[in-house]
Amino acid sequence: MSNESALETANALLAPFAQGTARPDPLRLDAMLAADQLLPAVKALMDNKWGYLVAISGVDLGLATGQLEVLYHFGGADNGITTSLRVRIPRDNASVPSVCGLVPSASLYERELSEMLGITVVDTPNPTHLFLPDGWPDGLYPLRKDAAVPVATTLNS
Amino acid sequence: MTNLEKSWQNTLDQVKTWARINSPWVIHFNSGSCNGCDIEILATLTPRFDLERFGVKLKGSPRHADVLLCTGPVTLQQRDRLMRIYEQMPDPKFVVAIGTCSISGGAFQGCYGVLGGIDTVIPVAAYIPGCPPRPEAIIDGVVKLVMSLKH
Amino acid sequence: MQPETKTEEFIIPIGPQHPALKEPGHFEFGVDGETITSASVRLGYVHRGIEKGAEGRNWAQNLYLVERVCGICSHTHATVYALTVEKLAGIEAPPRAQAIRELVLELERVHSHLLWLGVVGHEGGFDTLFMYSWRDREIVMDLLEALTGNRVNYSTNVLGGVKHDVSPAQADAIRKGIDTLEERTHHYLNVVMVDSSFIGRTKGVGYMTKEQANALGAVGPTARASGVARDLRINAPYAAYPQYPVEMITDTGGDVFARTVVRVKELFECYRVIRQILDTLPAGDLTVKFPRKVKEGEALVRVEAPRGELMYYIKSAGGENPERVKIRTPTLANWGTVLTTVVGHKLADVPMILGGIDPCFSCNDRMITVQPATGAERHWTWEQLRRYGIAQYAGDR
Repeated sequence: MSNESALETANALLAPFAQGTARPDPLRLDAMLAADQLLPAVKALMDNKWGYLVAISGVDLGLATGQLEVLYHFGGADNGITTSLRVRIPRDNASVPSVCGLVPSASLYERELSEMLGITVVDTPNPTHLFLPDGWPDGLYPLRKDAAVPVATTLNS
Repeated sequence: MTNLEKSWQNTLDQVKTWARINSPWVIHFNSGSCNGCDIEILATLTPRFDLERFGVKLKGSPRHADVLLCTGPVTLQQRDRLMRIYEQMPDPKFVVAIGTCSISGGAFQGCYGVLGGIDTVIPVAAYIPGCPPRPEAIIDGVVKLVMSLKH
Repeated sequence: MQPETKTEEFIIPIGPQHPALKEPGHFEFGVDGETITSASVRLGYVHRGIEKGAEGRNWAQNLYLVERVCGICSHTHATVYALTVEKLAGIEAPPRAQAIRELVLELERVHSHLLWLGVVGHEGGFDTLFMYSWRDREIVMDLLEALTGNRVNYSTNVLGGVKHDVSPAQADAIRKGIDTLEERTHHYLNVVMVDSSFIGRTKGVGYMTKEQANALGAVGPTARASGVARDLRINAPYAAYPQYPVEMITDTGGDVFARTVVRVKELFECYRVIRQILDTLPAGDLTVKFPRKVKEGEALVRVEAPRGELMYYIKSAGGENPERVKIRTPTLANWGTVLTTVVGHKLADVPMILGGIDPCFSCNDRMITVQPATGAERHWTWEQLRRYGIAQYAGDR
């Protein structure tokens, strides 16, 4: 499928679920979703074999916003388009539903999301640490802006 | 001969001498490196450098090893395993820290996942800097260590 | 949901035991006899905290950090990072710089695929293949060193361009080296297609259908070997790939054999495009000026590392340091495929199946836990598993 038709198809598939869409880049489509629209949106992409889950990125939007953002990046099956489903959630009680029922290989990404940002992924099949070492303190989420972990080298301090 | 070739020939002569005296058995451990150093260590076993012709054997078990070649900045997850492997080696045993990360944490200094150097965990007998050090430098460093032990 | 632990008192000793080295298995395989019934993985042995570390370093310092995510595809990391940050800054590196970036990317692919050929050979007990391919690989290592100043971790890139040029003498040396490597690669293609023991260990092993490859999000040669036409150099060309394109190499075999053939054939494409770049390198500057602070925004770029798709997502808050750097490596994507496709296979095939996705090399130095349906857990080193695989196939009549 060409890049243009992949973009149009993704747009059409996601329209019923998205609060808004954006084209940040010629090869990218962003779809903003409420958390409860995530699964139907993923289902639409997967049922229509639009593409595959490339990665899940969690971002801390900053203490002032009180929010985290989770981005589900899908790559076109045989083209260069990236469609990102974006869900904003509150920092306290942060949770998203697991997409593993629709995308079995998402388990590793969900484990990473959970341990790095303290987001509960409801019904994920394996909630254990993927990267963080054994004995890592509970409740310490390295990618949160207020995490008590070292960030800087000695060069810039 | 270029300077590299001359100093390499010098090292080769030393290696031959040393290997006749005893053939060290070596074990390799990656404590969380990017693999840059590990592939250069592996390259020392391949035909161009061919460490094995001097009797240096790469062993799978620490119980039979004299020298532990270590790479990486020591991630938190590898710390215990590094200590266990060191404890399993019989005396006399020597640790070689290969690459900048194994000396100081290298590019990863200050990152939460690393302790920052092999000698934060176990005693190190020789340090071979580089990112990564080239195979000749690795061999040269190991040879210098063994030669120094003979005096 | 906790994984179930089955315990029995009947112990089947296989190979030397190392009770003192007992530790959580990095890979856990449930088996029924010799057949794998389940697989899970625990990573983290190389987890350094790079994404967080990147937030504490400025844009230029991070080039040196991300280069060392993986020493084998270091320039690929440096390039996708540079492209993403350049996108954020609204700056494009000049054509000569992009062409040199692509030249080094393809030379890196050559070193990586030859390295892989040796490693997968070693996994299967074909140490001659390992020795020959790594000996030949020294040719490209010398070329990279002469061009960039280092054998590994080349630091070719700066933000806004590259820091070294290609002289006519260097170009000639590269052409000569590539000619030799091309001849050797024909030989390797012949060897893998004809050697019955190599074929025995790779044909039908690790089979993945096109549908599975799509559903599981397989990337790189692993996906292409199952007939999936997925290669970001072609789907979303970057650096100088629009001017110097490569052909899509796929296979329908879907097994480790097909993945071998795809990688070897990709080498020929590398040689071809390297020559093309050298012959028609555009004139011009090597760099453009790059700001110390990068304006607020976010960018996402996906490129084709030797192992498959590498993705960077970077956010700037307008300062000297990034706000967020998210890296998704191809090996992490392909773990998902292995954990699924390994089920139903024999334990003896695990080294070749894992080798077939060309995982980060250090992942081969891991402990394995084998959990039989009846009998106690066995804890093996990777080396024990590798020898087990070789012995099983040698014993097969």
